[in-house]
Order: sequence, then C-alpha cells, then structure tokens
Amino acid sequence: MPLVRGVIYAAIGFAIGGSISLGITNMTGEDYKEPMIVLGYVFAIIGWLMGVGMWKIWGREWFGKSTVNDPTGGWERYLKFNTDHKVIGIQYLATLAVVFLLAGLLAMGLRAELADSGQNVFTKNTYNTTMSLHGIMMIAVAVAAVMGGFSNYVLPLIIGAEDVAFPRINALSFWVVPPVVVLLLLTPLFGGFDFGWTAYPPLATQAPIGGLLFELAFLTFGISSILGGLNFIATIITQRAPGMTWGRMPIFAWSVLAASIISLTATQWVAYGMLMIIFERVFNMVFFSPPGGNALLYEHIFWFYSHPAVYIMILPAFGAELEIISHFARKPIFAYRWVVRAFAAIVALSFVVWAHHLFTSGMGEELAVPFMVLTELISIPTGIIFLSALGTVWRSKLRLKVPLLFALAVVFNFAIGGLTGIFLADVATDIALQDTYFVVAHFHYTIMGGEMFAIFAAGYYWFPKITGRMYNETLGRIHFALMFILYNITFLVMFIPGTVGMNRRVAEYPPEFEAMNLIVSIAAFGLGLSFLPWIYNMLNSWIRGPKAPDNPWGAKTLEWQTSSPPPLENFKVMPTVTGDPYGYGDESVVHARFGKSSPSSQAAPAEGD
Amino acid sequence: MTAALIWVLLTVVAEFALLSLNLFGDAATKQGQFIDDAFILLMALAIPVFTFVVTMIGYVVIKFRADGDELEDAAPVRTHKKWVGSWLIWTTLLTIVVIIYPGYVGVQELRETHEEEADLTVNVTGRRWQWSYEYEGRAVSLFAKDDMLILPNDSLIRFYVTSEDQDVIHSFWIPAFRMKIDAVPGLTTKFDVNTTKIGNFNDDVNFRVQCAELCGRDHSLMFTRVKVVEPAEFEQWIADQAA
Amino acid sequence: MTIHVPNVNHRFDPLTINRLGLWLFLVSDASFFIALLSSRVFVSGTSTPDEINQVLGLSLTVLLLLSSLTAYRAEVAAENNDMSHMKNMLLATMGMGILFVFGVGYEWYEALQHFPPSTGFGTVLFTLTGVHVTHVATGILTLGFVYFRVRKIETIGDNLFAVEGAVKWWHFVDVAWVFIYPTLYLLK
Ligand code: HEA
Ligand code: HEA
Ligand code: CUA
Ligand SMILES: [Cu+2]
Repeated sequence: MPLVRGVIYAAIGFAIGGSISLGITNMTGEDYKEPMIVLGYVFAIIGWLMGVGMWKIWGREWFGKSTVNDPTGGWERYLKFNTDHKVIGIQYLATLAVVFLLAGLLAMGLRAELADSGQNVFTKNTYNTTMSLHGIMMIAVAVAAVMGGFSNYVLPLIIGAEDVAFPRINALSFWVVPPVVVLLLLTPLFGGFDFGWTAYPPLATQAPIGGLLFELAFLTFGISSILGGLNFIATIITQRAPGMTWGRMPIFAWSVLAASIISLTATQWVAYGMLMIIFERVFNMVFFSPPGGNALLYEHIFWFYSHPAVYIMILPAFGAELEIISHFARKPIFAYRWVVRAFAAIVALSFVVWAHHLFTSGMGEELAVPFMVLTELISIPTGIIFLSALGTVWRSKLRLKVPLLFALAVVFNFAIGGLTGIFLADVATDIALQDTYFVVAHFHYTIMGGEMFAIFAAGYYWFPKITGRMYNETLGRIHFALMFILYNITFLVMFIPGTVGMNRRVAEYPPEFEAMNLIVSIAAFGLGLSFLPWIYNMLNSWIRGPKAPDNPWGAKTLEWQTSSPPPLENFKVMPTVTGDPYGYGDESVVHARFGKSSPSSQAAPAEGD
Repeated sequence: MTAALIWVLLTVVAEFALLSLNLFGDAATKQGQFIDDAFILLMALAIPVFTFVVTMIGYVVIKFRADGDELEDAAPVRTHKKWVGSWLIWTTLLTIVVIIYPGYVGVQELRETHEEEADLTVNVTGRRWQWSYEYEGRAVSLFAKDDMLILPNDSLIRFYVTSEDQDVIHSFWIPAFRMKIDAVPGLTTKFDVNTTKIGNFNDDVNFRVQCAELCGRDHSLMFTRVKVVEPAEFEQWIADQAA
Repeated sequence: MTIHVPNVNHRFDPLTINRLGLWLFLVSDASFFIALLSSRVFVSGTSTPDEINQVLGLSLTVLLLLSSLTAYRAEVAAENNDMSHMKNMLLATMGMGILFVFGVGYEWYEALQHFPPSTGFGTVLFTLTGVHVTHVATGILTLGFVYFRVRKIETIGDNLFAVEGAVKWWHFVDVAWVFIYPTLYLLK
C-alpha cells in the first residue's frame, strides 16, 4: 500500500504548499496559479517520497528515531521505497519501458501527421505538444534507462559488491522519477507545451501552465540523475571486490564511471536553466528579455548540460556494447586501455563543445571556430571505440546470439550517426543543416541507433540474469531483423528532406517533400510494429520461459558467477578478483575466485595495453 | 586481403554513386555553392570510413562465426600496437583535414564579404508569425504576409536580422541560399550572400524565407516567398514601389 | 522481520564512504554555483547600481565568515569529544546563520524599492541571494537536526560524521558566498 499512501501524502503536501502560496499571493496581489503549482509541487514531492516509504527507512533517523528497512518480499517490494539495487534496477526498467512505448506511440502520431504535407491528424498546437512530449520522454528514457536501469542492476554485481555505496539515496533517485512521468503526462490537460524538448525562452516563459509542469519535471529528473551519478562514482571507488584493480575492472563499469562524472556535474546546469524559466514565470524576472536580459543565456546554459548529456546516453551504451561483443566473440576486448583513455577524453571534451548547437544562434562570431575544432576532435576518441569493437571481432569465434546482433548493429548505426555529426560540427554545412530533418535523422541515429540498440542488446543479454529465465531466441531474431531493417529505412530516408530544405518541428510542409515523408512514415509504422514480438517475448518469457542457468553465455564477468536471479546479498560467497574479466583463450587469466584466496595473486599486473 | 578488396570496391562504387547524384539542386548564392561543395567533400571523406566499418562487420560475421553450441575461445589478442597506432594516425589526419578544409576555410569564406560594402542591405524583423523587411536606403518596406521578397541577382546582399522586443526567437533561413541566422529579441545578427541565380518560389520552393526556430503555433507558416531577379528589373520594382 | 544491513564494504569504512559522498555532492553543487555566477554577466553585464547597500553586503560577508569559524570550532570539539563546547559552537553558528537570513531579508526589502525582480539587476540579485539563502537555510536546518541528535548524549560516538558533514556543508555555503559577494557587489 505504500503507493496509495504516497499519493495521499502527495495530495496533502500539495494542499499545504498550495495554501501557503495562496496566502502569500493574496497579500502581494500577484497572480496565484503558478506560484501555487510550484510550491504545492515541492511539498507534494516530499509527501510522495515519505509516503512510499522514505519516512520509515530514512526520515525517522533525522529525528533520532529508529528506522526499519526490509528490502525482501514478493512483488510488493517493487512497489515501495526499496534499497536493493536489483529491485531499483527493475523499477527503473519497467517504468522506462512504459515511457518508451508511450513516447513511441506519440512518434507514430507524428509520422501519421507528416505522411502528407497538409494538416490532418493534429491541430498545429497539439502537434507541437506531441512532438515535444515525444522528445522529452525519449530523452528521459535515453538518460535513465542505461544508467538508472542497467547500471543499477548490473554495476554492483559486475564489480563484486553487495549493493551500491548509498542504497537509500539510490532509492530516492528512482522514486522522484514517477512524479516526472506524471507531470509530463498531465501537461496536455494544462494547455500542453509547444517549445520542443529544448524549451528555449522567451517562447518557454510565455507558454501555458503545461510549460511550467514540463520545467518542474525536467528539474526533478535532473535531481534524480545527479544523485544517480553520485552514487555510481562512490560505488565504483569504494565497493569493488578485493583484488579488482582499475585494470581489471570490466569496461561497462568504466563507462558508467565516465557517464556518472558528467551527470554529477553537468546536470546542475539544466537544473539552473529550468529554475531561471520558473523564476521568470513566477517572479517576473527578466533573464531572457531585453532590456537587461539575454535570450542566448539560456541556450548556453542548456547546452552546457544537454551536450554532455548525449554522452551520458552513449558512453554506458558503448560499455555494454563492448562487453557483449567480447563475451560473444570469446576474445578479450581489443585495446582495453585505449578505450578507457578514450572515455576519459570524451568526458573532458564533452564539456567544451556545447556551442556547436549555437552556430546559427547569433552568439559571438569568434566562438564558431574554437567550438568547431573541439567538436571535431571528439571523433578521435570515439573512433577508438570503433577500433576496439572491430579489433575484438576480428579473428574471433563469433556466436551470433541476439545480444551480439544488436551490439553489432550499434557499430553500424552509430557509424552513420557519428559521421553525420561531423557535417553538423562543420560551421559552413551546419548553417545550412541546422534545424532541418538532417539533424533529426542524425540524433535518431545516435540515440536510437546507437543507444537504444545497445539497450536492447543489454536487455537480451542480461534478461536471464534479471528474470532467471531464457528469452525465445527465434522471436528475438525476428525482432532484430525487423527492427534493424525498418529502423534504417526510416531514418536513412529522413536525411533527404533535411538536405533538400525541410525544417523540423513543423506539422505541415511544402508538398514537394511529400514522397520522401510518406516513405519515412510507412517505414516508421513498420518499425513500431516490430516491437510487438519484443513485448510478447519479454512478457511471455518472464512468466513462462525455460529456467535459465546461472551463466548461459559462459561469460567471465562476476554477475554471471552467482545465481540467476542473484540473492539479496548478491553473492553467497564474496569473490576475490585475481585477473581481468576477458581472459578468453588464456588459461592463465582467472577473473575471480570465491572463498578463501591467496593474497599474492592480487599483485599480478593488469593486462592489455 | 579479401576484406580489403571488398572495402575498396564498396568505396569506389559508393563514391561514384555520390558524384553522379545531384543531392540538392544548385544553390543560388556563392556561399551556398561553397556549402554544397563542402557537403559533398565531407560525404566523400565519410564514405571510406563507413564502408570500412560495414566491410569489417560483414566479413567478420561470415568468416569468423562459430556454429554449434560448444564454447570455443579465440586466440587471445589483447592489442596490437601497429593497428592502434595507424588507426590513431589516420583518424587524426582525417580530423585535421576536415577542421582545416572545409571547416576553417569555410568560416573564412562565409565572412569574406563582411568588410565590403553591400549592394543591398535588408533589415529583417521577425514577429509571431510573420516577417517584415525594410530595404535600406530604398524607402521600401514589406509588411504583409503575402508580399514577395524581391532580390537582385549578381549582388552582395546583407541581411540584418532581429526580432521584436517582447517576441520570441525566430530564425531567418532561405533554403535556396543555404544560409540562416537566428532572429533574437534585443540582438541584431547578420549574414551576407552573393546571389548567383535567378529563381522564384513558384518554380522552386526553396526560394522562400522559412522560420527555422520553433516559435509556437504558426511556426511552419512563418514563411515569405522569394524571387531573385535581374538587377535592372529589381530597380524597376523598387521604383514602382516607391511611387 | 529481517533487517538488511548492507555489509557495505570490503575496504572502506562507512565514515570514509560518507565523506566521499559528501565531497561528490559538494563538487556537484559547486557546478551549480558556477552556472549561477556565469549568468550574472549575461543578464546585467558588469554594472552594479549605486543604490546597493555596500555596508550591509560587507557586514553579511563578515558575519558568515565568523560563523564559519564557530562551525570549525564545533567540529574540532567533536573530534576531541568536548561535548559542551561543541553544542555551544553549534548554537552560535546557527544563531549567526539566522541573523544572516534576516540580513538578506532586509537586503531584499531595500532592493524591492530600487531594483525589483523585473529589472536586470534585480533578477541577478534576487536569484543569487535567493539560491544562496536557501542553501543557508538548509545549513541551519541540518545543524539543527544535528544539534537535536547530540543534545543529550555524552560522547560523540557514531554521530561524528553528522557533525562533520553539517560543518563541511556550512563551510561550502560560506565559500559560495565568498564568490557571490564580489560578483554582486564589487563588479564595476
Ligand atoms: C547519443 C546522442 C548523441 C551523440 C553520441 C552525438 C554525437 C555527436 N554529435 Fe550530435 N546531437 C544529438 C545527439 C548525439 N550526438 C542530439 C539529440 C542533437 C540535437 C538536439 C536538438 O537540437 O534537439 C544533436 C545535434 C548535434 C549538433 C547540432 C546540430 C544543429 O542543431 O545544428 C551537432 C553539431 O556539431 C552535433 C555533432 C555531433 C558530433 C560531432 C558527435 C560526435 O560525438 C560523433 C563522433 C563519432 C564519429 C565521428 C564516428 C566514429 C568515428 C570514426 C569511425 C573515426 C573516423 C572518423 C573521423 C576522423 C571523422 N550533434
Ligand atoms: C531516445 C530517443 C528517441 C527515440 C527512440 C525516438 C524514436 C522515434 N522518433 Fe523521435 N525524437 C527524439 C528522440 C527519440 N525519438 C527527440 C529528442 C526529438 C526532438 C523533439 C524536439 O524537436 O523537441 C524527436 C523528434 C522526432 C521527430 C521530429 C518531429 C518534428 O521535428 O516535428 C520525428 C518525426 O518523424 C520522430 C520520429 C520518431 C520515430 C518514428 C521513432 C520510432 O523509433 C519509435 C518506435 C517506437 C514505437 C512505435 C513504440 C513501440 C511500439 C508499440 C507500442 C507497438 C504499437 C505500434 C504501432 C501502433 C504502429 N522523432
Ligand atoms: Cu518563427 Cu518559427
Ligand atoms: Cu551536441
């Protein structure tokens, strides 16, 4: 019943916060609505968190009272504030799968509208709201599904820990996500928000109440990813199994560490961006309008987060991809150390390239060249990831299971996504391509083709570990084939309207571009249907699938050395790491021993160059 | 060896296809032609990289696949100095090339005319959801949605772009010219074009001013038809308007 | 009912892990303040109106620095298990903190007359001080909770991190002000 209690407490919280605000606005004579929503929401969130169990597990402690924490139990444990990282991982994955399907259905709506040049399915305003909702919901999935979902489940296992460093903060970072989803889904009832996922003011400051809900949602979501990043960094530093030196750490853990550094620091900026808009709305401040204010301020602050954010999405995806490729190629990750260096370089560069989204914004002209140069430098470390993937499969023994198929598709798709990024990074070509469908195709190639495919790879790969059951391989292959082909048709063709002069974020467009859009729409509907075998496979296998062995893939990383699904404390006997996890074809490398171990083996040097 | 051959073959075919296609029609300005050439060049450079990835994946999947269910390990090659080294060198070289040309050179190219005196200066103002134009020194302004923006061919045209103070951000884009710049309240931005081609909206939709920054409900309809005419015809039109 | 005490760790004790967590959080929040400070030049350039109350600004700064000193004394006392001194110092810190909040309140009262939030400088002033004073409030609240917990106990025991953490947080909030003060008052 924690959920019900959460909702009730949230309602009470809203009533309290709302009345305080009403009291104040009554005195000052300001418009009451927006302040009431903001303050009410703050209190509602607190009520919600306390209701779902934070009070029992955590809050009492602040007042010097005893706390009770019981993360065990049947299915109810998924419906309350629970500190077990495996439960939290599943909570994230389930929530985000729903969000993904909803956002995907919205995309189907977009494609229906865009199938011909006129206006048919939506009015212009609802089109904009639909488009913006699709964008922000998908971004939320992209940011949180690998980090919140898979890293939460897998990271402690893969480094041989019992849990994350701060289990309660971990639970907190999940439980602020449902309010985000609820807020976003409520926006259409409050006039929607018609400013895209980027929310540029002054448009965003003038939008209806729905816009305010969007800003509160994005802000809350930011808090979640900050706390998540903090937790993963602390976990990786402090919770690795004895003997797991940095050189023996699985690449997935490295990628999560890299992404966490970004989400710990950069996310604060988008929080500030949202706060500025909220302040401008609620307190009539003038950040963005002349005289005094400057609309470019927001663009800089927003992209200072949102560019690094794309690497929060893609880095763990790369990590999962390389992890899977190595285990299915039965060959060590090629140039492991260079990959780690590449992650470090990408993190560093990601903070200094944001203005490549502003080449046409009217920012200072002298900024264009430095930002172009820095942006294009990112292709060098990103290229290393490709080298590693291709070097690993070369002369390997590939087992073409579904996870590997998806992982190889990531390499293919992201090559297109990344290379088209270079066209956008070049100032001259970007001036023509900015805000056209070329950009839309670019980021669907990087996010969906790169990250989402990696998420599906990870989903199939870790499915047996998470559920204790096997998925159906044939259905998986069907899903892969359909999704890969239809995805590529959809988004490859989408580059064309971009180059011939169709801008994004429009519900109607010149009839000359109709044919290509129709192809895209048809392929997109097929793409949508290709998820049906996936949905069926996942649900059916989870309930009825054959029992999975502990280590169906014969992989060497630690998460496969415990039962499927793992017990509450992850390992019955804690592991001691004695070598790197990619010792395929090399009997002398043993990743871990369980039980008593000889400390001398810990001193062995790490492998790879 | 085989893989290398396939790669070369694929690359040649793809490059050939690229050069024989006309991707976007001709740009109507000098700057636009540079941008189109830059695009083609980037494509030409991207193709070998992409075909390399494709060849590798395809080849590997066919050649090195392990059938059967027993687990069989491959030879444990962890790294290979020469491969890593040459990969780094090649990607760095490529990056440097694109940074210099079309990157740096492109920026200079687009700014080349900044010091010159323009043949025609147009002050553009964005407002939801319509553009207005003022021909500087010609006593002609266009305000109505249905007006057609007439511009002279073979001229250096300078656009100063802004948005009304209490309005939102728009973006002034003429697809046929390939150029765009945002219209920001409180800020004046500009770009230059050297027109090189006669054309008009009725023959080519890309002769239009299109707002390219989401600005709310009628963002998609925030466009003006454009017509580029001979300079003499342009002067005639100006004279008619002023009269 | 089973009580799950995560056997956190193999090599690090809980105190170290908590310290690490706090430091990470400070790094993150520092990033927020950088964003905050950088927006100042965008919104109202580097101009500072003459009406701003320089005396008040300077007094607030001095007050906050003093409170940092007492906070530091509290931490040292906690480490030495000198409970009564620690409690006094905690109270003193909170007292100065509350004074600071009132000082900012007065500053706002004056600012509303000269530069309300709807002007460029008002926007900056209210945002910077507003965000900062919220931090101060959380600092006072945290110190309050800590005080509440230690008020009756004889030895510090498990509560050392509580004191240390609250004090570190307080120092952080003070350092943030040290950057905000010149950005707001002294830029010309
Ligand atoms: C996961 C998400 C993701 C990733 C990883 C990337 C990666 C990159 N992106 Fe992308 N991008 C987005 C998501 C992403 N992007 C989104 C969402 C937007 C639009 C937001 C909006 O406006 O709504 C966007 C927009 C965007 C723009 C702004 C366009 C505009 O609005 O005008 C630019 C401009 O520079 C850009 C560039 C790049 C570059 C250079 C990379 C590089 O990191 C790519 C590097 C990779 C490679 C180059 C390929 C592999 C390398 C090799 C095989 C080596 C050899 C190659 C060379 C030497 C070139 N992106
Ligand atoms: C993770 C990121 C992500 C993902 C996965 C997707 C997935 C898809 N996107 Fe999205 N998209 C964005 C992120 C993403 N998008 C962003 C950030 C924007 C920018 C917004 C902005 O401009 O502000 C955008 C914008 C955007 C546009 C441009 C809108 C505009 O500018 O006007 C379009 C247009 O075609 C589009 C299409 C699609 C399609 C067809 C899919 C498909 O891949 C979706 C497929 C999934 C499903 C369909 C759901 C699952 C299937 C079922 C439930 C079965 C039932 C199926 C049927 C009924 C057919 N997207
Ligand atoms: Cu004006 Cu879009
Ligand atoms: Cu970017």
